[in-house]
Amino acid sequence: MEILDKLQILSGAARYDASCASSGSRREGSSSGIGNTSQGGICHSWADDGRCISLLKILLSNDCIYDCAYCVNRATNPIPRASFSAREVVELTMEFYRRNYIEGLFLSSAVMQSPDQTMERMVGVAELLRTEERFGGYIHLKIIPGSSSALVRKAGLYADRISVNIELPSSESLKRLAPQKQKQAILEPMSLIGRQIRESFLERKTSRRAPRFAPAGQSTQMIIGASPESDFQILKLSQGLYRKMNLKRVYYSAFVPVNEDNRLPVLASPPLLREHRLYQADWLMRFYGFSAEEILSDDAPSLDETFDPKTSWALRHPEFFPVEINRADYAVLLRVPGIGVTSARRIVAARRFSVITPEGLKKIGVVMKRAKYFITCSGRPFEKIDRQPAMLKSTLLLGDGGDTAVNPPPKQLVLPGIFT
Amino acid sequence: MSRYLYDGTAEGLLSAAARIIAEASDPEKAILVERENTLFEDGVFIGTDAVAAETLFNRLRQEAPDAAHTFYYFILAEKEGMETSLLHYLSMALRYGNRVNGNLADSAVRDVVTVSRKAQRELHRMKGLVRFEKLRDGAYLARMEPDHNILQPLAGHFSRRLRAEDWFIYDVRRRTAARWHSGTLQLGTIEQFTAPALSEEEMRIQALWQAFFKTIAIPDRKNPRLQKSNMPMKYWKYLTEKQGE
Ligand code: SF4
Repeated sequence: MEILDKLQILSGAARYDASCASSGSRREGSSSGIGNTSQGGICHSWADDGRCISLLKILLSNDCIYDCAYCVNRATNPIPRASFSAREVVELTMEFYRRNYIEGLFLSSAVMQSPDQTMERMVGVAELLRTEERFGGYIHLKIIPGSSSALVRKAGLYADRISVNIELPSSESLKRLAPQKQKQAILEPMSLIGRQIRESFLERKTSRRAPRFAPAGQSTQMIIGASPESDFQILKLSQGLYRKMNLKRVYYSAFVPVNEDNRLPVLASPPLLREHRLYQADWLMRFYGFSAEEILSDDAPSLDETFDPKTSWALRHPEFFPVEINRADYAVLLRVPGIGVTSARRIVAARRFSVITPEGLKKIGVVMKRAKYFITCSGRPFEKIDRQPAMLKSTLLLGDGGDTAVNPPPKQLVLPGIFT
Repeated sequence: MSRYLYDGTAEGLLSAAARIIAEASDPEKAILVERENTLFEDGVFIGTDAVAAETLFNRLRQEAPDAAHTFYYFILAEKEGMETSLLHYLSMALRYGNRVNGNLADSAVRDVVTVSRKAQRELHRMKGLVRFEKLRDGAYLARMEPDHNILQPLAGHFSRRLRAEDWFIYDVRRRTAARWHSGTLQLGTIEQFTAPALSEEEMRIQALWQAFFKTIAIPDRKNPRLQKSNMPMKYWKYLTEKQGE
């Protein structure tokens, strides 16, 4: 088979993997080698679906012995199969990298003969790139559940980021839809990676020469909407992963039905809005100091479709508002709908020079049509409104209160970009 | 209010700013414009003084490195008619240090920071969007037409990234080029550009990239608007994956 045909099959099979980030790692190139990675991450192109392309994202093989219900590559599907040789992947990566098409490689794979045999070949690709080609660009390796800890360790030494897919939000769902994957086979490498990252981080504090283990951290991904878990369960799971497993990112991927299978729900379309809301909520947990329990509860376990999670929280907490722009702490400013991380920082910086006026607020970049209901500026409110949540809700909906009501929220997948 | 003139070069601008900040009673109220060489131009002309310009820039680098950074990209933006804002900005930078960039309520600071940020944003964008093609002699060539004059920092980026190769980056609009050859970087102008022949394998690799680009998009989620807003069409001319569209 020609390499072009393989590329089409094996990049097509990788396209649903949502992890597009190539940031979080800084690696200086060596003088004779090629490539470095940059802290902020770089997008090299944007695909026809609007998503950022920064890595050559492919499977090593789609020839799978497993039979997960939700996956195109499952053994019982009659689809064209292909596998790259290690050399082929190395050539593609190097040629693309030299022409500045990509930041690096994101390699995943179906389970070929066994988890260990597959993982070994994937690690082999990374090893060739790093040692023979002296490639200093970005490498992300997926860990195949069930592969030995020796291979996981090796993967972490060559890759900038390694990740184990948690696949589904509960072990019951895993048992039902991916019977060959064991929960332990997923969680064990995850906690091993978490420990290794922490150790290497500490060692490198005392010795710069200590080996680096997955310097860009580990991430995971789960499929949303193929199984019955609530948003609240999902957010609690993510929160646990961030806190206990040292995870950098959790990716949510709206379930796209590709197989006929009576274990799977029938959906009119992929739950993209739900995916979008989960990313927003996840963002609140990582950068805005919210906990899962603040965003949702057992009584209200689903994210609101009409309002983003931050506005929803604000509507449920009228006692928290109004917030005084010229006095409130950074953490408090962050809770105001319409004020993001950047504008909160700018408010704090600008206050050192002079009192902030309503005019100045706009210039700082605060989304006033949203924020005006929740703030005062030197004691003066912007809107005379009844602060009953119900009233406020309808004002936000009917008036110019936000993009949510006037323009329906994006049905298209929008990954929170790495540069926003 | 005093009015000053300078010769229109970046160095002249810094020289004039240095003099005004040192000597004028209230530099943040002074006006600075480019000399137009008409007979009865109103204002005091300040000529280029390389030493004064460098001294001011070094002082800025020490006392307000963030402002020096902002200034550098402001110059790359090649924006005309903003000298007065820049003068006020520089004077404030020396007074407040790095904190000056936080003073967005001031219109001079806001203007300078905004223009500078645009140049920085385009630089970041071009780090991703520049495309190299392999030439017959084994070197690589990239062509581009950016809005801002970002060749120098862009070449700096690639001199760290593609150290082992020989390459050129050519700014078609400004006729300037950067050349990386056996480990040294040179910048210069090119009067006559003839596109050199490509290496034999070049088209094969480009076809592979185009195939990858097409396949990686999720078919049911086509979103040309989002694609264009992230990657404006003005950049498509030199994008390998957008050839023949
Ligand atoms: S193991 Fe991976 S590739 Fe194989 S069927 Fe399951 S999800 Fe698909």
